[in-house]
Amino acid sequence: MYRFLRLPVLLVGFFMAASSYAASNSQPALTTEDALGPQVVQPIEFPHNRHAGLHDASDPTKGGMEINCQYCHTYARRSAVAGIPPLQKCIGCHQNIESVRNKSRIVELFKYWDAKKAVPWKKVHDLPDFVRFNHERHIKRFIEQQDRPVQEACGYCHGDVKEMTVARRQKPLAMGWCASCHEKDHPVVAEGGTPIAGQAYWYSFQKPAAAQDANTKARGPNDCWQCHK
Amino acid sequence: MSVSNLLENWSQVRHEHPVNDKPHDPYKWAMAIDLDACTGCNACSVACYAENNIPVVGKERFQHGQQMHWLRVERYWEEDSREFPDQGFQFLPMMCQQCEAAPCETVCPVAATNHTADGLNSQIYNRCIGSRYCSANCPFKVRYFNWYDYPTDEMVWPAEMTQQMNPDVSVRSKGVMEKCTFCVQRLSAAKVVAKGEGRIVREGEVQTACQQSCPTGAISFGNLVNPESRVHKQWAAQQVVLDADKQAKDEKEEGPGLRGYRILEELRAYPSVMYLERVRESAV
Ligand code: SF4
Ligand code: SF4
Repeated sequence: MYRFLRLPVLLVGFFMAASSYAASNSQPALTTEDALGPQVVQPIEFPHNRHAGLHDASDPTKGGMEINCQYCHTYARRSAVAGIPPLQKCIGCHQNIESVRNKSRIVELFKYWDAKKAVPWKKVHDLPDFVRFNHERHIKRFIEQQDRPVQEACGYCHGDVKEMTVARRQKPLAMGWCASCHEKDHPVVAEGGTPIAGQAYWYSFQKPAAAQDANTKARGPNDCWQCHK
Repeated sequence: MSVSNLLENWSQVRHEHPVNDKPHDPYKWAMAIDLDACTGCNACSVACYAENNIPVVGKERFQHGQQMHWLRVERYWEEDSREFPDQGFQFLPMMCQQCEAAPCETVCPVAATNHTADGLNSQIYNRCIGSRYCSANCPFKVRYFNWYDYPTDEMVWPAEMTQQMNPDVSVRSKGVMEKCTFCVQRLSAAKVVAKGEGRIVREGEVQTACQQSCPTGAISFGNLVNPESRVHKQWAAQQVVLDADKQAKDEKEEGPGLRGYRILEELRAYPSVMYLERVRESAV
């Protein structure tokens, strides 16, 4: 009797065994997984490496300028979106940089400026419409409160932009990937960062007990409505 | 999520009564609606349509029971033996009651609707598979199902009307359940501002669209945990307790003359909306 159930029961058993094995090693993975997004063709091939890359002491004509990401992407620290810098921002510097003025990309840039037209940059990191992501919160959390380097903090989601020319999506930006970081225990108070005292509930579904010190850990928010709209 | 992980954290997914294991801190969003102030003008319902990208389905689909109004203004005739023009009636704005132990949450096969730390009943559109079980189990019948792909329906949002849609709210597609969210997009926006300043959202900083548009101020909304909030004061004054299925004040022989009540309280869903009974015995 019930012979027909044998296979399903066996399969379910296997599934349970496999999943409990997976769970026993279940410290969420680091957010270093790479998944290259499509190559986006931009109107001007903006060299991120030249602007944000590291100095090359031996040859200043190579290497980067180590410009803070937030110098151009100013909206990131005060709004949900990072924003694309207006053309004025580019020209603000470049009108004073004679040495590269005749490079084809800069000539192209000034054409837009003279025509009084915005550069039609294309979106590279495009989240689905049902997702609510807030740059400000992440910058406050990592750069202001934890005092981490800007390029490192931005790089959690945007990858190693200082090595790129035209930016390309490097991280999966999928829900499981976001959750892999939100499910990790992060320090609430970091050395050099702003202590946040009794406000750890911002970072966790459950408020950590008692007083917080440098060893207190909390998780990122994990209820659905935090990110879905 | 593996099966054992799911089983281990079951209590996080399903709550019999969320307040027990996770006291609301620092927020519990709640409402109080004064039926004596409500004139039945429907402004709240219209505001909700505009704020939340709700499709206007038209007469025919409405007659088929495919309406989408997250907030309906119900009309009740008074049985006082008077004939129509003189007969009195009263209104009751009915939206999702954001139950603490929501009957809809426990039956969703994919946990697309569940409880948030702020005491809201969330609905995740992209997770919903459209089983409509939640709607069947909702005692208030405030869940609405997308029978058509309204975003592509010319009759619902003609080209120029797409310009007025709210970018902070998903436009739902066919086969998805939806309902009042207590304007969660406004709540998150207010919380981001407050967090940036290192405090919690103050009373009056956030309004729902229905509350904002009500000409008589019948609807008040706020943080029930905050003793300064209007909602907290109203609930306290009416002696309505959130996690009770029978209010102590109703047990008394002679009622204290308080107007506050919650609809279908005895079902133990612990709704977050308190209504204030109409004062007049009959309208003229
Ligand atoms: S709280 Fe917002 S979503 Fe709910 S009925 Fe009012 S306007 Fe609509
Ligand atoms: S807007 Fe106010 S008065 Fe008008 S129907 Fe809604 S609750 Fe009643």
